[in-house]
Amino acid sequence: MEKILSASNITTGYDKNIVITDASFDVGSGEFVGIIGKNGAGKSTLLKSLRGFLPLEKGSISLFDKDIRSYSQRELAVQIAYLQQQVEMTFDYTARDMVMAGRYPYMKWWEQSSDRDQEIIDACMKYTGVMELADTPIKAMSGGQRQRVYLAKVLAQQTHVLFLDEPASGLDLFYQEEIFRFCQEMCRYGKTVIMVVHELNLAARYCSRLMLLKEGTIIADGKPAEVLTDSLLTQAYGVDIRSLVNKETGHVDIFTVPAPDDGHKKELIETIIGDIHHGKDGKN
Amino acid sequence: MRKYHYRLLSIVLFVALFLVICMSLSAGQYNLDFIQVVAWCLHKVGIPFLTDINVTEQQEAVLMFIRSPRTAVGLMVGAGLAASGAVLQGLFSNPLADPGIIGVSSGATFGAVVAIIIGINSTSLIGLPISAFIGAVVAVSLTIGLATRHGRIPVLTLLLAGVVVGMLFSALTAAMLTIMDDHKVQQYLFWTIGSLDYRRWEHVLMGVVPISLGIIIMLMMARHLNILALGEAEAKAVGMNVTRYRLLLLAVATMTTASGVCITGSIGFVGLIIPHMMRMLVGPNHRHLLPASMVGGAVFLVFCDSVGRMLLTNSEINVGIMTAILGTPYFLYLLRKNMDIR
Repeated sequence: MEKILSASNITTGYDKNIVITDASFDVGSGEFVGIIGKNGAGKSTLLKSLRGFLPLEKGSISLFDKDIRSYSQRELAVQIAYLQQQVEMTFDYTARDMVMAGRYPYMKWWEQSSDRDQEIIDACMKYTGVMELADTPIKAMSGGQRQRVYLAKVLAQQTHVLFLDEPASGLDLFYQEEIFRFCQEMCRYGKTVIMVVHELNLAARYCSRLMLLKEGTIIADGKPAEVLTDSLLTQAYGVDIRSLVNKETGHVDIFTVPAPDDGHKKELIETIIGDIHHGKDGKN
Repeated sequence: MRKYHYRLLSIVLFVALFLVICMSLSAGQYNLDFIQVVAWCLHKVGIPFLTDINVTEQQEAVLMFIRSPRTAVGLMVGAGLAASGAVLQGLFSNPLADPGIIGVSSGATFGAVVAIIIGINSTSLIGLPISAFIGAVVAVSLTIGLATRHGRIPVLTLLLAGVVVGMLFSALTAAMLTIMDDHKVQQYLFWTIGSLDYRRWEHVLMGVVPISLGIIIMLMMARHLNILALGEAEAKAVGMNVTRYRLLLLAVATMTTASGVCITGSIGFVGLIIPHMMRMLVGPNHRHLLPASMVGGAVFLVFCDSVGRMLLTNSEINVGIMTAILGTPYFLYLLRKNMDIR
């Protein structure tokens, strides 16, 4: 397997607030890596720093054996496409306008889009199933449609590597799984996908490799079965977690075990429910 | 699904442009019929139509040396202001940005006041415009300087810096006004409410190079502006050097606006409303939005100026007042309408 991206002992964060400490790993071509961990564990920060958006406090990142800092912005955009967690749009751009942005790094500043660009854009939109929405403003779309448009945009960038920051969050089950399927297929054709994931069950089924983060440190890195163990998950998420192989589907099921009731809860619930439902005020 | 009718719209805009030019040439205290002006315009560009209608020598002189330059200044400045407004709105991905917001107007006003105090406005025709231009550039540079940190220009910081610099220059202007003679205050008032009155071919010559240059650069940058308008994070993700393009476009928009404002005095609303209006008609893609805003801005400004000349019989209303009077209700209407949708 060809080595594509490699991080050695990186420590990074925002200004003086260090989020990731001493992370090292290599990623090869065709890998579908899921970054998992609880909220605030530093998943997005890790992804951003790999893309070169955050200054490194320590360590180095290399892409194709060349330091990432020696690439220009444009050169990086041809190698790595990055889909941010939330795209905020002020104006009513259409799907086609958005996907067109993916071709930006390929054009010289004076150039306009060519027929070849149009062809690629059409292919990406057809692949993710948004061709009929080409002239629809993105604001008028549902979450699932929007995410497919953004996916078409990062595909139009024709990069070796795709970084996706929680692309499936907030989507219907079908759309979530579809995004994983698209990525899996892309990886089969040699692309490398690194994705921040919340949906552990889907990550277990589709990713070829998982990285488990806890408070900015990678505590496990390997095949899904090696990472999704009760003890590692419980350690990372801070709550009791079980993972079981479902005998009917063969998929891994992951669920939390509720903490034992310490008796306080009943009192709290009574306060929350209030008196009215007991008819004490006479109106009920 | 929405389809924009670019071709139809461009025909409508150019017809409106022609009508508004004729309207502006015929409006005013010296009597000229609309149809005479239409014939004169057509003859000038070599179209043999309405050949039996002609103008007298005196009318020809009025058209050539009074009304034409005035109309030309209006077209030029209107196009420049609206295009700059569209650029700034895209640049900040904020539909409420306009050239005034980064300090252009207050800087130019301050420069104008300085020129009036020194008295160079009465000794030379270009003294005041140059001073106003310098004021605008200084104010915008100060705004950008205040907002830049570690080589980055965050949008919100820039807009806030613009407000602060605007207040500073307004205060300085106010301070100057308190020590000025009454007749100079009069001149200041005359300038500060933008007007196209008494503008000559010299004024057109002064503005035509920087404004056309600015507009050409903006049109060339349309594709980059589309990327910037998606927001900083998206622009970076596709490999754009955000700071470089922001600075470049800011500089071009400032130059264009300042060149306009220093000739006509400050004219509000054109840079805000026209891009807004055009975005509803042609969509947010700057390749269509910029040309549409240009023509729309020219039409709107010259229209306002003509109406201002036609309303009163023995006097005229400054174009700066007209743009505000016609612009405010439209803008409020836009805001209300957008609220209904969301």
